[in-house]
Amino acid sequence: MTLVPVTYKGGIYQHDIIMDLIEDLGGYIVQKHIIAAEVVLQCFVPKDDIELIRTIAKPIFGEVTDSPLVGTEIAIVSMSLEIHHLPHPSCDIAEYVRRIGAKSNMVSLARGPGKRIAGLNDEERDVINEHDVAVYLLGNFETCIEYKMPTLRRGIEVPIVLCGGPDEEALRRIINPPVEGYVGNVGRFMRRTKEADQLDKLDEVVAEITRVVEKKRNDIAKDPLSVSPARLMDLIREKVPAILDVTSPTPLTVQMRGLRVKLPYDTFAAPLRAIEIEDGIKLGDVAEVAPSRMRDYILVKILPFSETNTVI
Amino acid sequence: MAALEYFEVECPEPLGGEYYRQITNDVLLDHNLLKVIEKLHIYIDPRVPVFVAVGTLRKITTIVRVRDFANVNPLEGKITLVISDETYLAPMLKIFWETFGKDHVEQPDRFTVMLYDVKMDPKQIEDMVVADPSESLFRDLIYAFRCVAPEGFRLRSEKFAKDKFSFVASENTLAEDIDALVVTKFALIGVKP
Repeated sequence: MTLVPVTYKGGIYQHDIIMDLIEDLGGYIVQKHIIAAEVVLQCFVPKDDIELIRTIAKPIFGEVTDSPLVGTEIAIVSMSLEIHHLPHPSCDIAEYVRRIGAKSNMVSLARGPGKRIAGLNDEERDVINEHDVAVYLLGNFETCIEYKMPTLRRGIEVPIVLCGGPDEEALRRIINPPVEGYVGNVGRFMRRTKEADQLDKLDEVVAEITRVVEKKRNDIAKDPLSVSPARLMDLIREKVPAILDVTSPTPLTVQMRGLRVKLPYDTFAAPLRAIEIEDGIKLGDVAEVAPSRMRDYILVKILPFSETNTVI
Repeated sequence: MAALEYFEVECPEPLGGEYYRQITNDVLLDHNLLKVIEKLHIYIDPRVPVFVAVGTLRKITTIVRVRDFANVNPLEGKITLVISDETYLAPMLKIFWETFGKDHVEQPDRFTVMLYDVKMDPKQIEDMVVADPSESLFRDLIYAFRCVAPEGFRLRSEKFAKDKFSFVASENTLAEDIDALVVTKFALIGVKP
């Protein structure tokens, strides 16, 4: 059964029918937002059953759309939190990515700006590495990007999508070794992105991120994970009731290779490892439970089939 | 950028220069400073790196008086002020409190202020000076250029006079001959030191 990421949008009336349906079909609801009288569900559903959901959602005016970024956690790396970079373009991009299902976190560097003085510390590096993709938002000058990029990417193991002021060819020329994605003509600007051409640029950023995410999905498919992150999410929600008291918008953040559990590591690492998934196989057997560099959260890294020899 | 007589951004990277032209335009527009600046020349060289902004200023004589944003209506021992723009409401109330005392000033809603038992002529009230925007002009200009200049350029040298200004920023120690560079940029807009 292939699960595909989709977003369901509809009225609050009878939306539980859709939720029950998704669960009955073997899908998972990753995030649920209720905004006024509208419900947005970001979920994984079986590929063959999308039409069925559409048919059942039709009388209650629900819409099902493809959302390739559902179930990914993306780091939007902004050079600083100053007025120079915020709210435009960093927040604009972070928000736009969120609309199509990704969980985006803004990672702002302590010493990001400048040319010679730019740097990346170990905490920033580790936090970025905890994400699925890092989107670097750099400035307008080729010279500066060429000079500082080697410093800013040192130790980064996740795919990088680079956004900068110079056009794409220039970015490709100056970055060596190449990064996974490039979006040119998106450097520093100080106006809200609301015109059609600016929104097209944001679409371009999203398309590039999607391309990189798809490539990573294909890589993962070659050596599949021992258990689906969405399944683990459901299981943790069921077996660790403390997660229900967490007030964060996404207490369990699904990633492509694992999930972030927003509970203190010291107290909850052992109970998490002991959760039984199926037939005596515990979570600790198929995943690594590690402390996250983000607050005192827990990072569950699911091991691939090649290491555990089990897929459940 | 129609309000400026002269506006140029000089940069070895043409595309980068174009972006900085846009940024400058947006920032000056946001901070309402386009009316103040007459000529502006910006020079950025990311290779050095250095950011230089030189320009001339227009004379500003816009003192804000009560009559500019309020209608003063005297009626049966009380004076009613109908406010059309709230921007200067707070400083105006402060001046009224100091001049007439809090007992004589009342504000029933956001756009109305009433003065009771005030001896002053309504004409005089209309002429009262509420604010002088030129007081904070240099501060606003410096803030605006800090927003325009690349963020890493934290070593700055600013010179603001009544009719002209220069703003230099870099991430390295400013070169000793930086003043000579500023003079050449001033020459481009026709200003002699």
